[in-house]
Amino acid sequence: MKKKLVAVLLTAAMAVSLAACGKTTEKQPEVAPEQGTEQTTEEKTGDTEVVINQGSDDAIANLIAATEGTVDLTLWCSEMESYQNTMKELVDEFKNTYSDVDFNITIGAQSESTCKDEVLKDVEAAADVFVFADDQLNELVQAGALQAVTTTYTFDPLAANGAGAVNAASLNGTCYAYPLTASNGYFLIYDKSLLTDEDVASWENLVAACEAQGKKCGFDFGNGWYTYGFFSGAGCTATLAEDGVNNVCDWNNETGVAVAESLVKICSSDAVISIGDADARAQAKDGDLIAYVDGTWSIEDFQAAYGDNLACVKLPTFEVNGVATQEGSFAGYKLVGVNAYSKNVGWAMLLAEFITNEEAQMKIGANTQEGPSNINAAASISSPALSALGAQSAFADLQRVGGNYWTPAGTLGQTLYTGTDDVKAALDDAVAGITAAAE
Amino acid sequence: MKRLLKAIGKYFADFGTAVSKGDIWVKLSLIIMGMGYIGRGQVIKGLLVTALEAVFVLFTKNISWPYITKLNTLGTVQREEVFDPITMTKTVNEYDNSLLILLFGVLGIAIIVAFLLVYIGNIKSAYRIQELKKNGKHVNNFAEDLRELVNDKFHITLLALPSIGVIFMCILPIIFMVCIAFTNYDAAHQPPSTLFTWVGWKNFITLFSNKQGSTFAYAFVKVLIWTLIWAALATVTTYIGGILLAMLINHQDTKLKKMWRSLFVVTIAIPQFVTLLLISKMFGNYGIVNGILTRIGLVDKLLEWGWISTSYVPFMTHSGLTHVMIILINIWVGIPYQMLIATGILMNIPSDQLESARIDGANKFQIFWKITMPYMLFITGPSLVTSFIGNINNFNVIYLLTGDYVTTDASLAAANAKDVDLLITWLFKITSESQLKQYYMASVIGIVVFIICATLTLVTYSRMIKGDKEEVFQ
Amino acid sequence: MKARRIVASVFRHLFLAIMAGIWLIPILWLFVTSFSTDPGIRTTRFFPEHWTLANYSKLLLHPDTVANFPAWFKNSMIIGVISCIISSAFVLMVSYAFSCMRFPSRKRLMSFSIILGMFPGVLSMIAVYFILKMFNLTDSLAGLIVVYSAGSGLGFLICKGFFDTIPASLRESAKIEGASEFTVFTRIVIPLSKPMIVYTVINSFLAPWMDFVMAKLLIRSKDPADWTVAIGLYNILQKTLIGQYFSVFCAGGIVVAVPISILFIIMQKFYVEGITGGAVKG
Repeated sequence: MKKKLVAVLLTAAMAVSLAACGKTTEKQPEVAPEQGTEQTTEEKTGDTEVVINQGSDDAIANLIAATEGTVDLTLWCSEMESYQNTMKELVDEFKNTYSDVDFNITIGAQSESTCKDEVLKDVEAAADVFVFADDQLNELVQAGALQAVTTTYTFDPLAANGAGAVNAASLNGTCYAYPLTASNGYFLIYDKSLLTDEDVASWENLVAACEAQGKKCGFDFGNGWYTYGFFSGAGCTATLAEDGVNNVCDWNNETGVAVAESLVKICSSDAVISIGDADARAQAKDGDLIAYVDGTWSIEDFQAAYGDNLACVKLPTFEVNGVATQEGSFAGYKLVGVNAYSKNVGWAMLLAEFITNEEAQMKIGANTQEGPSNINAAASISSPALSALGAQSAFADLQRVGGNYWTPAGTLGQTLYTGTDDVKAALDDAVAGITAAAE
Repeated sequence: MKRLLKAIGKYFADFGTAVSKGDIWVKLSLIIMGMGYIGRGQVIKGLLVTALEAVFVLFTKNISWPYITKLNTLGTVQREEVFDPITMTKTVNEYDNSLLILLFGVLGIAIIVAFLLVYIGNIKSAYRIQELKKNGKHVNNFAEDLRELVNDKFHITLLALPSIGVIFMCILPIIFMVCIAFTNYDAAHQPPSTLFTWVGWKNFITLFSNKQGSTFAYAFVKVLIWTLIWAALATVTTYIGGILLAMLINHQDTKLKKMWRSLFVVTIAIPQFVTLLLISKMFGNYGIVNGILTRIGLVDKLLEWGWISTSYVPFMTHSGLTHVMIILINIWVGIPYQMLIATGILMNIPSDQLESARIDGANKFQIFWKITMPYMLFITGPSLVTSFIGNINNFNVIYLLTGDYVTTDASLAAANAKDVDLLITWLFKITSESQLKQYYMASVIGIVVFIICATLTLVTYSRMIKGDKEEVFQ
Repeated sequence: MKARRIVASVFRHLFLAIMAGIWLIPILWLFVTSFSTDPGIRTTRFFPEHWTLANYSKLLLHPDTVANFPAWFKNSMIIGVISCIISSAFVLMVSYAFSCMRFPSRKRLMSFSIILGMFPGVLSMIAVYFILKMFNLTDSLAGLIVVYSAGSGLGFLICKGFFDTIPASLRESAKIEGASEFTVFTRIVIPLSKPMIVYTVINSFLAPWMDFVMAKLLIRSKDPADWTVAIGLYNILQKTLIGQYFSVFCAGGIVVAVPISILFIIMQKFYVEGITGGAVKG
């Protein structure tokens, strides 16, 4: 009986959405070709075109009319003070926009990087709207926690945001989140009073320059997020398999071995250190660390350490079989998701739209170190870090790896850093771990 | 075993006798539980028992029964939702939640079992009263019943509340988690959006067999060995260290006893997670200890001698060295606690025993071995076992100290373990940090930890609990 | 003979001083760092370059979106005190029942409890969460109090061991004079067990005060005002925050130590009474 009801509802909804489709076909979003996405468009999410329908203004009017009493909403976003304050302003504006409705909106402090853990603990009790890093999309979708963005009401996220961000928010042809920022990737931060453009162009030059000055450079080898760049840059792959859970990885082929050997060679220098970003900031402050691979979230600390000499640049090249190869990276986006279990799903969607529209992104971009994913907003905001990210984006991949990737990849990085006689064996082990079947 | 069967047999035989030989009131209480008491004038007790029965029936019928009936499949209706873009609202079917079915199913069954025990006991009690009446003996009124609860039956009063707490917060969760070990509950089967179901012994086989592509068995053996080594060393070092320190401070020649004690106790005053995080930062690769060692040139010396291959001493990142560091840091953490316990107990040694030994001409060592140590062991023996178990499950120390450790053992990494993990931190990582969230594997590991601990204790503790030793010092 | 004794005494004190020094170094570092003007971790100097009280004023007077220490402290205090009272009572009650009373299947119940206590608690967290959710107790101080005190009855072993050392004759004679078990428990056994009570009270206060795993699971609110000290301080050490908040974290660690230190200072007095209590008993 229940099943029947659902079936009827489903067909009804399909009919409605088909009708809606028909109405808006001429508005089919054009995927913006800029923002260097040669790599990202190859992702399999790019194969099926993402479609979002434009809802009518009537829907909002209906919703306002149908709403009784206070609407309780919870919004989780970064715990940084600048973020929290900006979000508070945006929420106030949201309340003013829909002044006919009585809202009770709570803003919670939740780091984007661990958002999915908190959401998945008990999705029914999680926030209605939450900001998360794009690498968590896969799991959130798998757990059914995200409300699919099939219809938008105030603007079209597909047209407004860069193609990379839209791809990051989509899975198998469905958009699941509203892109917020496009600056969650990594690049090289360095002290330009000590290193020249030449020095930061390649790891070999960088290491030599650091050695000459008795200084250090490095990144977190124990974190598979960074190690990935070397292998992807040389053309190796590590990505989700067709089933969306397991990984495919070919790092143990000949190219991979060459990459690993090159890494071991780079690490053999005392000038290269494996260091987490919290320690790195302290080392930078002490003046020992003069170049480090990190992201926008650390910029303020490095600014404090290097002062006006802070400079950012795309990642250096490194030699594979004697050929200078550009290091790749993971591209990173922050997305806004609507909880599929939200009790006020309509309002939650409107709030998510509101905090990701052009003006909101401008505001966030101006008040924090982050770069907007909105094309117009991105054009109006610039900083060394964002231009470094822009240059790196041509070599950045969408982060689509399954759960078994992280620990083995981190271990591989650590092994290569400490040095090993049998690179091939280390790679074989890592690949076995990464591709191990997750039941 | 035989005795147990006999006891169970007698239990039901008594029930049979009560039912068959009971008069009309006893038989009535088969349906309305309080009748057996009301019929003999114990009205309040009778009403209370009947009220209990009513609550039970209502709870089971309305709340737990729907869950119990779905226990065999753990639910069949998957969540389906339809979003209507025109009204901006959502229709959701009435879906099953495997987790809640399992939890409330277990709870419901537990309550039914408990009720049956009460029910049978109630009939027997009604029959007992009938016998008392028949033999012309005194039957307690309600006030007398209450008075008994602070006297001969005081233990019931004492144990009632703690037991309820334990049943809800310990036993029920344990049964639940044991059940999880036989399901496929993980990230791909995660309520409320998706269902999970029973898979039998499959997960235990995964842990114990080196199936292709799975390194759980390998990781399990490695982690288990380190867990046992750690537990033994951590317990013994802090125990002995604590007693020695306590004796040192309690020595008659030691001045300012209070001050010394306080100095060590200060380390307890700061929460463990603060001190442990702090120490892990101090000993980090780029922490202050390495900073100072570098400045005084020791790091260069060590490099020269070939003891280390990095520009720092890898206190917390090198297998082996980290293991030693963890034990040392745990001594730092644990000795003040043990010192406190030992002080309290040393002060309570019956002084007449010490006195008579001294009069008999025993020297200090004889007194220590013949009186102090046996007394210490008698009192702290059980605590030694508990602290061994506590160390097997010592989550804080390992978790907080080894956050930065990255294993170089690829097989361990594939199973989400590290060389320095205990079973307990490993299973925590499986459920919280691993993206696959294989709750069932965590549960299997938990059960194994439990079996190890239970066996160890039963062997050692039953020796202590047995015999008349309990009364020796009373 | 006397000279030897003096030398031994000097060595004893010297040794104690060295040990105490080792034990206090991390605490000292915590203490001096809490006065540092540098908000992040120092790696080259033990003592800060410049001293300031700013960290304390930030911590106590200027709660921001990350740190709301006054609220945390209040929450932790409420949880700590209430669950301490409940769990101490539970432990003493269970210990008395097991040590001083004789009833059928007492030993079986004891073994059962001990074995129960061995099941890794980390594992049952999910179930605990949903049980509390059923009673609508998640995200509340009451829920945490229930979690910390409900299972505490299982920790009776040490206390029971202590009760075992109280001479049975004392209880017997009281009963002959007509005292009920309840009177014996409250008037004879409890007053004789001050050291043990102190130990129990401290342990049951410290456990909730220091726990962050359970608290993190149950407190789902993302408003810092709803957190406990443990969650809050742990959160500060996140990668993105540690650079700005490490000194504040240290200041927090020092402030948190105050109530516990007070507890210990009070306790020392009872230890002396514990000595006399033991002597009377003999």
